[in-house]
Amino acid sequence: MRLTPGPGYDVDLDSVDLFDLDLYTSGDPHPIWDAMRAKAPLHHQVLPDGREFWSVTRYEDVCRVLGDHREFTSERGTVPTHLGTDDVAAGVLMTSTDPPRHTEVRRPLGAKLTARAVKSWEDSIRGTIQRFLEPALDGETFDLAERALLLPAMVTGPLLGIPEKDWEELVQLTAMVTAPSDPHFLQGSEAATLAISHHELVTYVKEWVTARRAAEGGDDSLLHHLMSVRPGGAPLSDEEIALDGYSILLGANVTTPHTVSGTVQALVERPEQFEKAQADPSLIPNLVEEGLRWSSAACNFMRYAVDDVHIGGGTIPARGAVVAWIGSANRDAAQFPDPHTFDITRSNAKRQVAFGFGPHFCIGAPLARMTLRVFFEELLQRFRSIEFAGEPQHLRSYFIAGMTHLPIVAQKRRTP
Amino acid sequence: MERQAAPSSAPVSLGQEIAELWGEFLHCRIGPDDDFFTLGGNSLTGIKIIDRVAQDYGVQLSVRDFYLAQTPARVAELIEQGRAGA
Ligand code: HEM
Repeated sequence: MRLTPGPGYDVDLDSVDLFDLDLYTSGDPHPIWDAMRAKAPLHHQVLPDGREFWSVTRYEDVCRVLGDHREFTSERGTVPTHLGTDDVAAGVLMTSTDPPRHTEVRRPLGAKLTARAVKSWEDSIRGTIQRFLEPALDGETFDLAERALLLPAMVTGPLLGIPEKDWEELVQLTAMVTAPSDPHFLQGSEAATLAISHHELVTYVKEWVTARRAAEGGDDSLLHHLMSVRPGGAPLSDEEIALDGYSILLGANVTTPHTVSGTVQALVERPEQFEKAQADPSLIPNLVEEGLRWSSAACNFMRYAVDDVHIGGGTIPARGAVVAWIGSANRDAAQFPDPHTFDITRSNAKRQVAFGFGPHFCIGAPLARMTLRVFFEELLQRFRSIEFAGEPQHLRSYFIAGMTHLPIVAQKRRTP
Repeated sequence: MERQAAPSSAPVSLGQEIAELWGEFLHCRIGPDDDFFTLGGNSLTGIKIIDRVAQDYGVQLSVRDFYLAQTPARVAELIEQGRAGA
């Protein structure tokens, strides 16, 4: 989807289709969300097949829906591509569990992903990013969006303990889960694409666990850590580990690349911001926050209302599906003045909710923040300037806001 | 591999058997030409069905072939092909 909205257009909120994939591939959703925040903070839509959902778009409502599990449960699924079919991993997968069980499932993994824990990986991540940027240094066209799809696997692969030969396949599978209708990833039908990718990912991690158990001896990888922890006195089952591994692969692979591409695109469009960051690298952490807000790669997450609930001036009936539009909350003028301006010195950029809010707040946020910071440190230090070398192509998805192609050409800095 | 039978000639009874097997996991009556996803099938049922087919028929179906086949009749063809190739 376009991250810089085009000229405003008349939006008819009664007939708007928020799940229209063309809107995200070639259209402009921001003016629609602007109108929703202003005129219909609780919006209701019925799909042609009869499924229906409510939407919240304001910052405070999005935080409430994502953060309050007593009113809005995750147990029946949280990804809008599954709207109407209860999640197969309900109550097992970390993302689709409510507290208190969620707290138990999350703890063993969370301990390994704190800011302090991920700090020890910084040097190895920097090396990975240097290798990643290397081919762009020769001045040839570099398709950043396409290449960035591999970046999280390059970063998290060694941490998880997954061999390099498998990265490409895993990246392909996670892309299929998130954008099953994108022609780059479609296999047969959308449903078949989802089932194949989910099946193969879970099987992959399960076989990994089985092989490791047989080999004995350990390493300090994340998956190995999950094999050895005993939350509540009992070890995790192979299936639980497989689902945790699945969550991590998915969480990391499908969001970080699009944040990279979206932020680089914003900087290339605004050379004065690029120069500002280059002149003062201490701005980079805030640049990362503004890039997260701006690109909001996880465009939304879903919950189901437990009981009738009053929100945004209306009522969602018990068991109704509600989509919390993160991409809209991050452009709410009540929170971020001039929300459609990309400003790396924005004073409250850190209040962005790109990582969600509340108990399900992204467990990978410290790792993602560090990866992005190192990425921009290296980028700004190596490249004097960057230009576009073609049109960007947007991901065909209403769940993940991203790009499949972003060709750029970079000029090396003379004295790196 | 030499394929002995044209895909559509898998025995009708095998298609029926597979339909009954799916019924156990999807908890409904199923015909050989019903669509897996329309019946509410997903990857967790898929994993179980593929395991059962391996057990009962000695054929390890490829995950992709299984979901792209989508009906008991076409899965029966895959089993026939697997047996012919074995
Ligand atoms: C820029 C990068 C990223 C963005 C924008 C992002 C976004 C999000 C969001 C919005 C949620 C909340 C989901 C909800 O409320 O239901 C979430 C959860 C999660 N993320 Fe991330 N994420 C990113 C990177 C990562 C990375 C690097 C990992 C893995 C190391 C990861 C793993 C997870 C997991 C496992 C959850 C589920 C947490 C739970 O349910 O308690 N994410 N992410």
